[in-house]
Amino acid sequence: MKKKKTIISTLTRRSFRQNKGRNLVAAAAIILTAMMFTTLLTLTQSQAQNMTEMSLRQSGTKSHASTKQISENQIEKIASHPDIVSHGESLVAGLAENEGLAGRQVEIRYATPQYAKDAFAYPTTGAMPANADEIALDTITLQRLGIPAELGQKVSLKWVSESPNVSESSDGSESSEVPVSTNASEAPELITSEFTLCGWWEGNLSSYASMAWVSEDFAREAFGNPSESVQEKDADIWMMAVNFSDTKHIDEKIGTILSDTGLTDLEFNANLAYTQEMQSMIFSENLPVYGGMLLVFLAGYLIIFNVFQISIASDIQFYGKLKTLGMTAKQLRKIIRGHANLLSLISIPAGLILGYILGILLVPALLYNVGAKPQASADPLIFIGSAVFAYITVMISCLLPARAAAKVSPMEALRYTDAEPGMKRKTKKSKNGASVSKMAWANLWRNKKRTILVLCSLTLGLVLMSFFYAKNTSFDVEKYLMDLTIADYQIDDATNSLPSGYDQESSTISEELQNDILALKNVEETARLYSHQIDYSFSSTTCENMVSYYTEDRLEEFASYDPTFPLWKEIFDSATAGNPVPITVYGADSLLVKAAASSSYLLNGTFDEEKFSTGDYAIAIGPTVEPGQDLPVYSVGETVSVEGREFTVMAVVSPLMPITSGFGPVFDIPLIIPADTFLSLWPDSNVRKFYLNVGDDTMEEAATLLEDYKNTSAPDMNITSRKTMVEQYEAQTRAASVMGYAISLIIALVGVINFVNSMVTAIISRKREFAMIQSIGMTKRQLRQMLTFEGLYYAGGSLAVSYLLSAFTVGVVVRAIASDGFSTFHFTLLPLMVCTPVLLIFAVVIPYLCFKNLEKQSIVERLRAID
Amino acid sequence: MSILNTSNLTKQYGHEANMVKALDNVNISIEEGEFVAIIGTSGSGKSTLLNMLGGLDRPTSGTVRVDKFELGKLKDEDLTVFRRQRIGFIFQNYNLVPILNVYENIVMPIQLDGKTPDELFIQEVVSLLGLQKKLYSMPNTLSGGQQQRAAIARALASKPAIILADEPTGNLDTKTSNEVIKLLKVTSRQFKQTIVMITHNPEIAAQADRIIHIEDGRVQEAVTA
Repeated sequence: MKKKKTIISTLTRRSFRQNKGRNLVAAAAIILTAMMFTTLLTLTQSQAQNMTEMSLRQSGTKSHASTKQISENQIEKIASHPDIVSHGESLVAGLAENEGLAGRQVEIRYATPQYAKDAFAYPTTGAMPANADEIALDTITLQRLGIPAELGQKVSLKWVSESPNVSESSDGSESSEVPVSTNASEAPELITSEFTLCGWWEGNLSSYASMAWVSEDFAREAFGNPSESVQEKDADIWMMAVNFSDTKHIDEKIGTILSDTGLTDLEFNANLAYTQEMQSMIFSENLPVYGGMLLVFLAGYLIIFNVFQISIASDIQFYGKLKTLGMTAKQLRKIIRGHANLLSLISIPAGLILGYILGILLVPALLYNVGAKPQASADPLIFIGSAVFAYITVMISCLLPARAAAKVSPMEALRYTDAEPGMKRKTKKSKNGASVSKMAWANLWRNKKRTILVLCSLTLGLVLMSFFYAKNTSFDVEKYLMDLTIADYQIDDATNSLPSGYDQESSTISEELQNDILALKNVEETARLYSHQIDYSFSSTTCENMVSYYTEDRLEEFASYDPTFPLWKEIFDSATAGNPVPITVYGADSLLVKAAASSSYLLNGTFDEEKFSTGDYAIAIGPTVEPGQDLPVYSVGETVSVEGREFTVMAVVSPLMPITSGFGPVFDIPLIIPADTFLSLWPDSNVRKFYLNVGDDTMEEAATLLEDYKNTSAPDMNITSRKTMVEQYEAQTRAASVMGYAISLIIALVGVINFVNSMVTAIISRKREFAMIQSIGMTKRQLRQMLTFEGLYYAGGSLAVSYLLSAFTVGVVVRAIASDGFSTFHFTLLPLMVCTPVLLIFAVVIPYLCFKNLEKQSIVERLRAID
Repeated sequence: MSILNTSNLTKQYGHEANMVKALDNVNISIEEGEFVAIIGTSGSGKSTLLNMLGGLDRPTSGTVRVDKFELGKLKDEDLTVFRRQRIGFIFQNYNLVPILNVYENIVMPIQLDGKTPDELFIQEVVSLLGLQKKLYSMPNTLSGGQQQRAAIARALASKPAIILADEPTGNLDTKTSNEVIKLLKVTSRQFKQTIVMITHNPEIAAQADRIIHIEDGRVQEAVTA
């Protein structure tokens, strides 16, 4: 048995070494395939990892399940259950209310180290607090408080207790060692405590809140009962987070534990990041990449198959000889598989390494991530998966060629020519004679399968390239930006993005700031947006409009997706019954009004800027719908009364994001009036949003001014710049477009390699035939012409099919995709046009080079050559 | 009992109008230990006959029997195995595997069969053929005569009962040809093998025990030497 292995492997190895050039082509093809698989898998795995990480951070913990209401006694019971691998405990003392922390929830809590670790909030410097006057904070909180991240810093927190019996606790706290002073003026009581920083870690903005860890003593103190009395142990004031051995079937595991411990009243919630929904979301996010992998497989197959097919065709006599000498078909297949294995052994690891390097380089550029930097996953699955996929591609590719080689009968092998056996055609009715171009055409179809294969792989790449290019260029940045920003810079009041809603009293955008902005060198235009809530009773016309718009169907649909529906419905019913309900009145400067009432947003009525600026008119904001239907708002021409002043509704518009963005009331039918009119109604109003357009030379200056102001006076002020929007968009879409281009480029490359390979072998394998036709009188020039014709037919054929299919793909598919969203369709076949001369040059140059090589041998030498 | 015989062996190539009968009802019988030469003009069908005898090609009709085996009834895979165990081939163009050295070429059919070469026997064959010094040479460094001797060694190495030789001296000069034939005769006698050899050289044919003359696919006459 051992000897047999030796001869087969000797033959495999030596025949493999015979064909260095051919192996190089095959190796290149396999490396490309493995590389693409690895890169794509690196991207999917990193994407999955980042998405899970992100959703874990958003949910605030990586623990598998948690509860917010549990007593110490219950914690003990659950923690001792065998299914629990680890658990964390936490006790919330209260929420920090320091001014600098406005807009950021900072929870003052005690937590066990495990809990802190799971919550991505374990101090990286220093330690968890042990003493009542110690605190550990994240960098976000520290920055907002203006405290440097150094251990030993004094931290002063104003906070509100979460404890239900806070009033009692405040009495006891006076005597405690914790320096607590109460502000007894009004509820909720604001307590000020002094701490020393004992640890800190890097904060993450994507998590919903920052943690401020305090000692257990402090937290207990906050509840006014430092003793660990039996009664206290039954108070369900604790939080608990648990971890199981794995993340599968979390809900069932919780059920088991609760029923085992008899604590079925407890409410444990599985971490949403581990749910099936999250996994399928990750999957669907990765779908395009899986599609890409399919294409890679296809392209890999097309080229590897062709390489094997060609190499077997040219080695067929050798295989025939082996068969004559007693090699069985099985042994022959083994040799060919051995070649494939040798190639894989060299190429796949190379492909894996190159692909992973490419993946590492691409991940930060391609994966758009909020908060944390995207990390390239190092999951061994990437390498195993890619290696397996690449190997399968190679094996499938060599399957048919190997079978063909094994099937050939020894006698046939000796006569084998590189054309399909069993030519159907027996006669050819033609007296035109043999023109060079016709011979070339006939030659092209001697091996139909291969010609079609090469045409397919070239076409696939070219069509894909056209598709991605047309799709990417159809995107219209202006359309996209229109919906997001209407000025170079927009600044929002700090309270604008608070879940509690905009606070009219907040004055982030101060007079000084506005004056500073106006003092900039080249301010082209500015605009203010004010808003005020008023109670308003709708007219009977408006009520009718609303009732007729919200049909049963619409209401049902609304209810199905919007969790705030019940509240909305309540107000809606009240409003239609004629009761006053709160609505928002916006005061806006002309830049905003013009954008809000621009043609694409106008739903009803007309916008006349001059009339509007008189202050007698208002614009109503309706729902986001297509124009030309009844709207559930004021009718155009209706008179509305705001603070005793009459306005005529001149137009209804759909909401414009830059104006309406931010948390608003559930039910609202807003009005827009001129800013100056607004100020005459409410003279003390604060600016809610401020917009400015500046000249190009002032861009940087403006950015610096706003950033400085944000850093020094208003950390929560939101700055939206058109430039960053564009950059952000590009970052978000870069992944898709780069990947699209990369895949189509590689497939096109595969096509070209295939084409070159086919051309070269077609010429080399016909060495003798050429010698023969030369010997009967074809000149070198004619022969070269014939070969050039063949190349041109190949290239021309691929191009013709590519143009046809690309025109269809771009004209129909891309047009359909581009019809919605922010796209403007342009018909373009630019990539194809760029490739056209390249292919044609190849078609001419390759035969020329091959022929030069052939010429080195005389006709007689070539005629005699038996290989 | 004959070791090799054919009955009504017919082989046709092509169809209808351009059908060629390469073999037409050939009935021959060859005894064990016989040295038979097949002669005939080019295109007479002698190579086809040899290929049929060796199981390299399948007949259109009729049977080929080697020992007790009817070749037509064996499956492709079995036929290959049968061939490498029972029959040694010698070709006009030697058919040495260019990537294997002389020794490897000689033992290849045995190893393909999963067997261990009988080193002593191979030593004997190699020294008989005078190849001792060329054992590790690659085929392309050998002269024509040396290559053919290597091919003969390969045919003998598996101790086949039958040796089929297709113009073994076709590419060799007269002196070398005579040597090769002499060697063939010596070895066949020594190892008790049956030899069927194609040639168009009457002088060479004359050294055989029997000459079978084929013309237009038919056996013309059996001449006993």
